Amino acid sequence: MKGGIFELKDVWKIYSMKGVETNALRGISLKIKKGEYTAILGPSGSGKSTLMHVMGCLDTPTKGSVFVEDREVSEMNDDELAKIRREKIGFVFQAYNLIPGLTAIENVALPMRFNGHGRSESHQRAKELLRKVGLKERMTHKPNELSGGEQQRVAIARSLVNDPDVIMADEPTGNLDTKSGREIMGLMESLHKKTRKTIIIVTHDIRLAKLAYRKIKMLDGRIVDDGKIVD
Amino acid sequence: MIDLALKDLREHNVRTFLTALGIFIAITAIVSLGSISAGLNELVTSSTASIGSDTIFVMKTFDLSEMMGPGGYQIEDMNKEDVEFLRTLPGVKRVVPIISRQFGGFFEVDALDMDAIGIWGMQDIEFKEGSWPDNEDEGAVLGYLVANTMDVVVGDYIVLPGSEKKHEVDVMGIFEEGSGAYDLVVLLPYEYGDEIYETEGGATQVMIEPMDVSLVQEIKDTIEEEGDDLDAMTMEDALAMMEEATGTLNIMTFGIGFVASLVAAIGIIITMYTSVLERRRQIGIMKAVGAVRRVILQQILEEGLIISVVSSVLAVVVSLFFVEMLNNVLLGGSNLALITPVLAIGAVTYGILLTVMASMYPAWVAVKTDPIKAIREGM
Repeated sequence: MKGGIFELKDVWKIYSMKGVETNALRGISLKIKKGEYTAILGPSGSGKSTLMHVMGCLDTPTKGSVFVEDREVSEMNDDELAKIRREKIGFVFQAYNLIPGLTAIENVALPMRFNGHGRSESHQRAKELLRKVGLKERMTHKPNELSGGEQQRVAIARSLVNDPDVIMADEPTGNLDTKSGREIMGLMESLHKKTRKTIIIVTHDIRLAKLAYRKIKMLDGRIVDDGKIVD
Repeated sequence: MIDLALKDLREHNVRTFLTALGIFIAITAIVSLGSISAGLNELVTSSTASIGSDTIFVMKTFDLSEMMGPGGYQIEDMNKEDVEFLRTLPGVKRVVPIISRQFGGFFEVDALDMDAIGIWGMQDIEFKEGSWPDNEDEGAVLGYLVANTMDVVVGDYIVLPGSEKKHEVDVMGIFEEGSGAYDLVVLLPYEYGDEIYETEGGATQVMIEPMDVSLVQEIKDTIEEEGDDLDAMTMEDALAMMEEATGTLNIMTFGIGFVASLVAAIGIIITMYTSVLERRRQIGIMKAVGAVRRVILQQILEEGLIISVVSSVLAVVVSLFFVEMLNNVLLGGSNLALITPVLAIGAVTYGILLTVMASMYPAWVAVKTDPIKAIREGM
């Protein structure tokens, strides 16, 4: 992989609402290597979430090119993008984004079932992951029966179910109290250390960012500082 | 992933119930109305099959289309001269005059030569009790439903409505239940009918058996040209007429069913569409974590399929009870309304197809959900 796992070349994202154009990303060029632990920092509205969505194939750039393992994203159709999201990337969102009607175990198993695995096989794997994130006793609970921290741990387990190369977390501690936030941070840290997965965290929590080896600071849709790896 | 579809249906049980109710009502309407059509078709087929294909029917009709609109006519009794005229026609083997009177809405009295019952294919009808009267008897044989309605058995007597003098007619026989159109008739010897109704050798209709089937058209033409306002109808004409009548009924019943099903389809589109909008975030999340379009489409269609299979099958089962009740209560124990296997299977298939088609647009909306927008809404 000559370009690393993600490569962005002069990426622009322009939103147009009622004739007013907003530049969420202004010519971002960036390379993320396999195994990097990167934090994207910046005030709200700086474009950090948009950057993560574009890298994570959830959104497409208005201009410029995004490569995932040297394949250009703009040339892929919806289903190919879904395949990349399912197999290569695990997402963790600020609002957890669990499906309300499904139990913890069913939520975790879902991406694996989308990948063509059967119910029992997926549930087996989901159980194992829920045990690892410390939710052994809460497996059959629905999201509204779980605390914020527990829901985020379910989301982390879900992000790992297809054993992706990359974990992308968008403000994973944003909705949590200090204690739960610290637990999630610990979980991300140990995940990186044990599995050497590529981790990209969007945050404005400086303590969470400190754990990262590379810190990208954003302002007004531009990268203003890119602290390279001190590994 | 049918388990996920089931789970979602259970999660939104009110919505599921209302959608199912719409399909249930439409399919019940189709099956119940269709059963009457199917029953009449069956009746027409079975009663025409028993009459010889070379038989000619003759009636005296007056064109009343000026008064009643197109196709309007009135049937009058033929007099003795008319019947005699028919007897003299060349090529005629047998002439059977029949005096017919309607009563009680459904029922009909027919008086005819008891030796000629073969011409109507009646020789095979089984008796519950008693037997055919002889031509000299002052008695009648009753269809099962007539006997049931009048509450009489063999040995009792009845007074036929419309008879000038109050003749007491002996009940000499009762047909077995389920004899089709013959459940609804009273049959008596011609001479006795002539006496009761004072027709003086006339007839309401005359059935003619030709010497040979090749003479049918010729006899018909002669009757219409030379007879006094006489109309002759061959079996072919009669079949065509009955087919036209049942065809109109079919169009009417299935038309009503079709409209009911359209209303149901709109209901399905609305509920499924609302359900997709309600679950926009959920669908967005599913797409974000890697569901391809087919998975989303499949889940919505599976939900439609489950609802439609359950409610259509249930509708057919309930219709079976409805039709049973209709036959027993309103139609006095006849088998007039009939749910044929074709009708039942057709209605279930239609219910399923209708729902799947009505789910297409909502499913398409679901497939087009933008995961980013759905996720942002949750923040």
